[in-house]
Amino acid sequence: MLDLSRLTRTAREMGQALAHQERTFTERVAEGRAWLKTFAESGETLREGAEAFGAAIPTGEPLNTVVPCPPIPARFTAIGADGTAIQPDRHGQALYYLLNIGSLVYRHGSGQTPEARSIPSLHYTDDDLYEGALLVSGNLLDVRRDLAEISHLADLVEAEPSGPILALVDGTLILWVLENLPAPGRREKVTRYLTQLDRICQKGAALAAFISRPRHSEVGRLLHLAQSGGDVQRARERENPLERIPDRVLFAHLPPGSRSALFASPNSINRMFYVPAGHEILFFYLNVADEGEEPIIARVETPRWVTEDKQRLALVHAGIVAQCRITGGFPYVLARADELAYISGPEREQLEEMVGMALLAAGIVSAPSPKAYYKSLTRRGRRW
Amino acid sequence: MVKMEDLVGGTANLRVGRVLRASARGFVVGCKVMQPDIPAFGSFVRADLQPAGISVYGLIYDVVLRDDPMARRFVIAEPPEEVIRDQRENRGMPIEVGVLAVGCRMEGRIVHCIPPQPPVTMDTLYRCTPEEIVEFTQRLDYFRLVLDAPYVPVDELLLASLRVAAAARPPQERRPFLIEAGRELTRLLGNDLLRLDGLLRRLSAMAR
Repeated sequence: MLDLSRLTRTAREMGQALAHQERTFTERVAEGRAWLKTFAESGETLREGAEAFGAAIPTGEPLNTVVPCPPIPARFTAIGADGTAIQPDRHGQALYYLLNIGSLVYRHGSGQTPEARSIPSLHYTDDDLYEGALLVSGNLLDVRRDLAEISHLADLVEAEPSGPILALVDGTLILWVLENLPAPGRREKVTRYLTQLDRICQKGAALAAFISRPRHSEVGRLLHLAQSGGDVQRARERENPLERIPDRVLFAHLPPGSRSALFASPNSINRMFYVPAGHEILFFYLNVADEGEEPIIARVETPRWVTEDKQRLALVHAGIVAQCRITGGFPYVLARADELAYISGPEREQLEEMVGMALLAAGIVSAPSPKAYYKSLTRRGRRW
Repeated sequence: MVKMEDLVGGTANLRVGRVLRASARGFVVGCKVMQPDIPAFGSFVRADLQPAGISVYGLIYDVVLRDDPMARRFVIAEPPEEVIRDQRENRGMPIEVGVLAVGCRMEGRIVHCIPPQPPVTMDTLYRCTPEEIVEFTQRLDYFRLVLDAPYVPVDELLLASLRVAAAARPPQERRPFLIEAGRELTRLLGNDLLRLDGLLRRLSAMAR
């Protein structure tokens, strides 16, 4: 039983503590927004320090820039791609992994049925499964999935007849997981990824990644650095009042459809590999809510070659707003790409069954590990 | 206005869908939304049970459209044409078609009875051709199976099937066919005059 009388006092204290936290939070947000204005024109002087401090790197735009939504083109093509993976299971009948890439090609203003695709690929050879002594799973598999996503996206972009094209991925364009992987092979993986970005760029398309409810606080770090006089050492020593405040809260004042200033990402993979290859990733915050509704602040990442081309940048901005207005806060093509890539529980079971049958047909008798076998018995619900 | 001729499919072996679940009295078929010929209430359909060499005949008595949260969201919004098409044509929300078994063909002969075996999952369901409908409705013994069916809008289903069966015949044969159907109904529903009266009124309107 739960003796509620023992909790009365703690619950009261908890209420007061949370109310205090909320007040502090509101004050800090107000302070952060004031700093955006105060240091609006200090971008140039903060740039070098920002990179060293891991803060958002200012571009030429004032920090408090607000760019309203450009006119939404009557006709343009939005393409979204997303991927899922089934990890190799050492308790399964055979060692393999599966990638499933979903995509939707949506031609705005055409009245045509969008093109939906779902493309699975099964990987089972030793070359597929191992990188040196490491089994391809976890972060290593994430990189392969990201690469498959962007390659499929580049294929679709190239196949599209000319006209404005907006290619979208869910999440980020930076292969940040490489930070957690051994250094050898990093360059090769990034190069393969960036080659796909080249293909999209050469077709004249715009490319962006959409991050829903982002938790980054890089702009907050930049403002803390500015408040510390641009001195990295001092900024490191002092407590950053904006440390736990996501940037999206600082930008919640953006009117519907408007974006923030552009910033460059301080991510080390971005600085080390993307910048020299001409694909430096920049980002902005964008209010994707409809007119008159509560703000929905998303983070949009896009390569430098998009931001340097006014038309492509306007397409990223207006195209994402148009897509989000269909679904209500999230691009329609990405919602559908996710659905098309998703692998349900029963589908996983069917795949495992199909693999088992194929092994049997080839004369290989295999079985799941005893642990997996007993899990399959115990996790199917009680019969008695 | 719907013409009598429009009620029957002219193409031989036009596929309706595949069997999802079945029992001796009937079965449910799944098919994609927006087929060129969306199955209609009261249509005659056929499933061939290959190894058994039996064809099961049935009447469509229900068409159910399932939804999901995403579709529901767009129903209350005013989505662009592209989204409507995507939801209808790409999202694979099947419509479920309920079929009441009313007879079968065994050794070339049509019998109005509960079939000896139901179709199995994934069997294909076809829409009957006008010739098949005429052949099936040479006798009207299937009325009893419809009248006894539970959870089915019995009177409406009978009338709809008669409308389809009449339309499958040449114009000069339609009226005599409907009069014969009226006689059969009178035999079966002699103890329920109120119901019979309602059915006959609508039949005579159809025969005009």
